[in-house]
Amino acid sequence: MSASSVTAASGAVKTPGTELPVVTQPGVPFIEIETLRAKEFLPAAKEALSAMIAERGREDLTQPVFNWAGRNSLFPLHWGLACCAIEFAAAFGARWDAERFGVVPRSSPRQCDLMIVNGTVTWKVAHKLIALYEQMPEPKWVIAMGNCATGGGPFRTAYSVVPGVDKLVPVDLYIAGCPPRPEAMLDGILKLEELIRERKE
Amino acid sequence: MEAEFPALVSARLGDRVAAVEVFPGTLGRVRFRADAALDVFRSMRDDLAFDHLSMIGGIDWVDHREVFYVLWSDARRAYVILSTDLPAENPHIESATCIWPAANWHERETWEMVDIHFDHHPDLRHLLMPDGYVFHPLLRSFKLHEPEELEVKTRNV
Amino acid sequence: MSEMWINMGPQHPMTHGLWNLRVHVDGEMVLDVDPEMGYLHRGIEKISEDRHYNEVVTLMDRCCYVAGLAWEHLYILSAEQALGIRPPERAEWIRMMSEEFQRLGSHLMWYAAFVQDIGLMAPFLYGMRDRDLVLDLFQSYTGARMTYEYMRVGGVRNDLPNGFTDQARKVCDWLIDRFEEYDRLCLASAIFHKRCDGLGKMSRADCVAYGVTGPMLRSAGSKRDLRKDRPYSAYDRVEFDAATADGADVTARYLVRMEEMRQSVRIIRQALDWLDKNPGPVMAARVPRWLGAPYAPIGNEGYLLKRNYPKGLGLSAIEEPHGEAQAYIVNDGGEHPYRVKFRSPVFANISAAKKYLVGYRIADIPPIMGSVDVCVGECDR
Repeated sequence: MSASSVTAASGAVKTPGTELPVVTQPGVPFIEIETLRAKEFLPAAKEALSAMIAERGREDLTQPVFNWAGRNSLFPLHWGLACCAIEFAAAFGARWDAERFGVVPRSSPRQCDLMIVNGTVTWKVAHKLIALYEQMPEPKWVIAMGNCATGGGPFRTAYSVVPGVDKLVPVDLYIAGCPPRPEAMLDGILKLEELIRERKE
Repeated sequence: MEAEFPALVSARLGDRVAAVEVFPGTLGRVRFRADAALDVFRSMRDDLAFDHLSMIGGIDWVDHREVFYVLWSDARRAYVILSTDLPAENPHIESATCIWPAANWHERETWEMVDIHFDHHPDLRHLLMPDGYVFHPLLRSFKLHEPEELEVKTRNV
Repeated sequence: MSEMWINMGPQHPMTHGLWNLRVHVDGEMVLDVDPEMGYLHRGIEKISEDRHYNEVVTLMDRCCYVAGLAWEHLYILSAEQALGIRPPERAEWIRMMSEEFQRLGSHLMWYAAFVQDIGLMAPFLYGMRDRDLVLDLFQSYTGARMTYEYMRVGGVRNDLPNGFTDQARKVCDWLIDRFEEYDRLCLASAIFHKRCDGLGKMSRADCVAYGVTGPMLRSAGSKRDLRKDRPYSAYDRVEFDAATADGADVTARYLVRMEEMRQSVRIIRQALDWLDKNPGPVMAARVPRWLGAPYAPIGNEGYLLKRNYPKGLGLSAIEEPHGEAQAYIVNDGGEHPYRVKFRSPVFANISAAKKYLVGYRIADIPPIMGSVDVCVGECDR
């Protein structure tokens, strides 16, 4: 399991008998919280957090909290580069409804933590793409959606096309397809959530 | 109408037109003299009612260049193609923007891609490529990257 | 006063793609605009010179990504004229039906995006839902949702699957009812009229002078529709009307596109009836072999020799969902086209932006540009 590796890396020593009943791995108390009703959320969160802090120290806990919050509310930047943008839009339509995963496109890069590069990147737009990436607050992730963003796609040899957006910004995840279907895009976002779950600073 | 069109063109334009070739699906391909371009354009619009300019394009034939105009007439419900040859050295032709304002962007694109200069164009600057781009991609001498070459070029970007 | 230049783009919710509208404003009023294109210029015309005739079809889907089949149709018509090949009749009807379905798909995408621009959120979901039904039909006979690679020089790749026509009729019946619903959602809404009426006026004379075509031209009272005026494929064998409106403003363009969708359904129903009655081949019998094989078969070095084929020129023009699109192909007798030149309707429509944006307020720009229906892919090529 991915979460068990976090336990091992955090170096928390667990002795039998002193373990909290809900804590089998660091991510789990927050999953428990997710299932609670809203009015019970804050007291339960406070209780679980103070118990965890008393048990294992503050540093081990803040990162899973941030990761849990971040991966459940990924805000991608709302911009369409080319063909994949249409499938990107279709994923937010009635049939796929990407917002059920907490993915809500925002128009300002300052409100975003995910940039989905959905289309061909040309040299003319390259510095604008970098500027947008730099305006996004940390932590931030980049998904290269489709073959053009991954490696230039059918326009790889053209004079005006950047052969892969990883020449410009660091890419966390590549989605294959020309264009990828909305299911593939949602699968990519879920894969990215797995990556964020394992993230350590 | 298609049969009498060449006679109509030569009656209006005289020796400013070299030939009217047959082009299926249109009224013909009118080969005109480049130095009489403005007369031909004006006559086409005013006398022959071709009031809609569809597109302008350039072709690089290595030893010379060709520029062509596709026109549409609502009255005739037909296309006509104007075409002329320009020398490969310093190719230039009069701009059609004063006749058809639609020519503006088409001429900018043709200048950028095929390096044909349009005299008296109001705003001849880059349209599709960034400012300062020095190449003209649709010339035959401009070669695309080979995939292997691309790896070497982009490795240090 | 407070005059300044504002960049709306390349990343802006109004643009629906990558382009930059530089706006000169005095307070709220728009004094001047300067569209800046080319952010999606992928050199399709140059790449086409390195490809075989059938390989260019791949690029056409990506050229206009909301109307891929229409652009395939445009390119194939021109290539067939340049190469002197005639498709069988059934292929022509399938192409016509595909183009009309593509018009439905493109206009539904436009509806979803445009109505979201003016602040109504639910129609986006309705538009995308119904567009997916059209895409499901495409998927059933081309295998893809957006990038089809379906048409070939001399015909189409494969025939329609069994039961396709029944399914297509069901989708048509469903859509016809939904159009009434769309009209109720929009035309009965005071927000819609306050944001759209009287905006983005462009007279018919201006449209003609600036090369503006398609729904924008027909919303100004013109009846020009290349499907009527210069019929290609099987358009001279079906009954339909060119949709027009008066008013030349954003609302008029909405009405024109809605009426066009109804006319598309009308054409599709006639095409489906014809296709049911007339089975037959969908590929021309005598098509040169090199057109179908993109790479030289091993042991057949003679394949790479320069072929001896008649030279020719091809010009095709179709009424694409956005307007009048053209392709001009020069065939010099080689394996690749010598020159391919496309005319994009969006290119011309945006180039006239000064005419329909200046004099309005800056908040009016999103509905006006939404009514233009920008597809940057085909504009920049």
